[in-house]
Amino acid sequence: MDSLGEETWDAVICGTGLQQSLLALALSRSNKRVLHLDPNDYYGEHEAAFSLQEAETWAAAHAENATAVAPAAGHGGLDSGNAAEEPKASSTGSEGEGTSHGEKPLGSEKTTADKSSLFINASVWKHPDAAARGLSFPRAYSLPLAPQIIHTRSKLLAQLVSSRAYRQVEFLAVGSFFVYDASASDSQAKLSRIPSSREDVFATRSIPARSKRSLIKFLKFVLDYDSEEQRPVWHELAEERLAEFLDTEFKLDANLRKYVLALTLTLDGHVTVKDGLATINRHLTSMGLFGPGFCAVYPKWGGTSEVAQVACRAGAVGGGIYMLDTRMNVNDTIADVNEISLNLSNGISVRATNLVTSQQEAAADSTTITRLVAVVDSPLPSLFEIIVEGAPTPAVAVIAFPSGSLPGIVEFNLDVPIYAFVHSSETGECPAGQSAIYLTTLSTPQATQRLAAALDALLKAVAAGSAEPATCLYKLQYEQSLSTRESLRTTRGKSSTFKFPSPSLSLALDDTGLDAVKDAWSLIMGDDADSDDTEYMVFQDREGVGDDNDDVYD
Amino acid sequence: MASEDSLPVLKVLIIGPSGAGKSAYCDDQFDPESSTATIGIDFKMKKLAVRGKAFRLNIFDTAGQERFRTLSTSYYRGAQGVIVVYDISNRKSFLGMEKWIEEARSNASPDAVLYLVCHANPLPSSFSSSSYIAVSLILTTIASFKVGSKLDKVAAGGRAVSVEEGRAFAESQGAGFCEISSKTRENIKRPFVEVVDQIVQRPQLLSAATPASNSTALNLGSIGSGYASACPC
Repeated sequence: MDSLGEETWDAVICGTGLQQSLLALALSRSNKRVLHLDPNDYYGEHEAAFSLQEAETWAAAHAENATAVAPAAGHGGLDSGNAAEEPKASSTGSEGEGTSHGEKPLGSEKTTADKSSLFINASVWKHPDAAARGLSFPRAYSLPLAPQIIHTRSKLLAQLVSSRAYRQVEFLAVGSFFVYDASASDSQAKLSRIPSSREDVFATRSIPARSKRSLIKFLKFVLDYDSEEQRPVWHELAEERLAEFLDTEFKLDANLRKYVLALTLTLDGHVTVKDGLATINRHLTSMGLFGPGFCAVYPKWGGTSEVAQVACRAGAVGGGIYMLDTRMNVNDTIADVNEISLNLSNGISVRATNLVTSQQEAAADSTTITRLVAVVDSPLPSLFEIIVEGAPTPAVAVIAFPSGSLPGIVEFNLDVPIYAFVHSSETGECPAGQSAIYLTTLSTPQATQRLAAALDALLKAVAAGSAEPATCLYKLQYEQSLSTRESLRTTRGKSSTFKFPSPSLSLALDDTGLDAVKDAWSLIMGDDADSDDTEYMVFQDREGVGDDNDDVYD
Repeated sequence: MASEDSLPVLKVLIIGPSGAGKSAYCDDQFDPESSTATIGIDFKMKKLAVRGKAFRLNIFDTAGQERFRTLSTSYYRGAQGVIVVYDISNRKSFLGMEKWIEEARSNASPDAVLYLVCHANPLPSSFSSSSYIAVSLILTTIASFKVGSKLDKVAAGGRAVSVEEGRAFAESQGAGFCEISSKTRENIKRPFVEVVDQIVQRPQLLSAATPASNSTALNLGSIGSGYASACPC
């Protein structure tokens, strides 16, 4: 252990979220000395995947609402109902909640790091008869806190392949996208599948011929919407709402507009023309790229959590040292501006040229989402059918509940959509015969009720009247917020501190997070970074092959 | 023998405490050049035929993550065999076996084959037994590893765990057992052969090993060639 404190580390990375872990991967062939810590005793930070037991421990640690965690902050006395719904966990002045890894003296561990104000109001519910109804042992589950689908065009996949890390990750296909329509006559029709290709559009009976022509015209436009020829069509309207643009420019009817908006996975339903077209373009150009019938993939066993772990192993293979369950504090009493001095909670003191952490405080104006994770006792096979010949069996289905689409709670005057990702047991997140459902919506006053209603409606629609709807065995619910969206970087002398923003709330992996990883990499590499772009994350295989190949034992 | 690509692939892990604390034995005799062989390898490949059937073994070591017990759950995914290693001269490493076996049991497939290995070479501090064995398995000669003792010598002085004790513990855990020396290469392949032999007898493990048997997993590798061809090299 002593050796850890002797030499100065080129980088101490704190936290094993996706960004920090990808940074470790990027540095894994650099000969830089890397110490990678996590205050938690698990990998993945805000993108971790949990067994049921871990989920319960985590929920207990994040059960507080915003008022409870910031009692002395001045706004704790606000209307408590409001504060709970719109958590504004403060980044300043909050004595009760240790929101940062770095600035607390050693000994105040109770309040540091492992309690971030990004997640609040967490709770767990178990069916009273759960075991008898099939809830398995805790480790049979691996439930991700923030599941994201990864479009096949994402730079992340290109980087995982070029860095050779992809071999340790199993990727599964994301299959059909559905839109929930409460007004459909029979229950079977309540989930309508969004056509995924031109052929699919023509084959879909539920769309009238005239609408099909408008839709095809729009799809063609989106494929090269950013060309010089097409840009004038939308440029002046870039900041307008996509839904209105679809109506006025392409005459898409209300139904088709719902389809298109669902594909954007917009959380507030008000996606702009500019962002919406970019997302739809990504969706369409990703379709078929890796094989027929799917546009996105999902890493088995818990999504980006698994990618983070594999990236950390690559860091370890490259010589990085790993410590979990280890907090650190910056020792400000050391005057040397060319080094950062750190005290670790295990008693070791280390010095580093660069310190990379992630922001743990929710920004005051942060968007907040409410998530509901549900384990149900049915494989829900109708959601995972193969639609295109030759396509792999999908393991993830996406169901969009457009604004105001839930019956019975219309009086809540809803105007935000709900999305449900349904994961089959092929994801390894639940045992065979069950499914894991991840519902997300913006945190509004009735978010909890709306999510419950959406889950209920989903299970009824899948059962389609023929059988009893699936039973929910286990639920985990929580709210998640954002830190400021910029990376924070401070340099003193030759030493620098870099703080990643918290993970994006978007339901599809957003490539902008990868740019921050590269920024941190450039900072640590300094002059060693080749200006040539191709070097970043491009590695050769590193495998040992036996030279006495054919050993035979009978 | 069948062509390389169609061989069933078995994932075998080697885990156990790190070799730290034994550096006094051998640092001075250790050839630093050869140590680079163990650093920076994702996994080792080895072809092995057992009972007339050929397999490709992908052998993973702990990559130093055993040092502070930070092996990830993803490391254990899909492993059909886990070889747990302790040090013949270090009683503490033997006493820690129960925890390692428990970790392997709770993270790897419930059907995975467990095998206990007693390792008889003192190691430099930078080594874990896990990576040392993985590498020595695939090297034909390891003459450059000038480490001090061997199985027979250790028995005279440095042995801290008897064969009987090791074997009895392995039996109580339902694991196979042998003592090896990576220096003399005594028994060096035996754990792998016996693990594969056990895996062969568990069809539920083998079914996951056959290429293309899994219709849901995507082969990003073939897609990867698309990326690779875009690279100027």
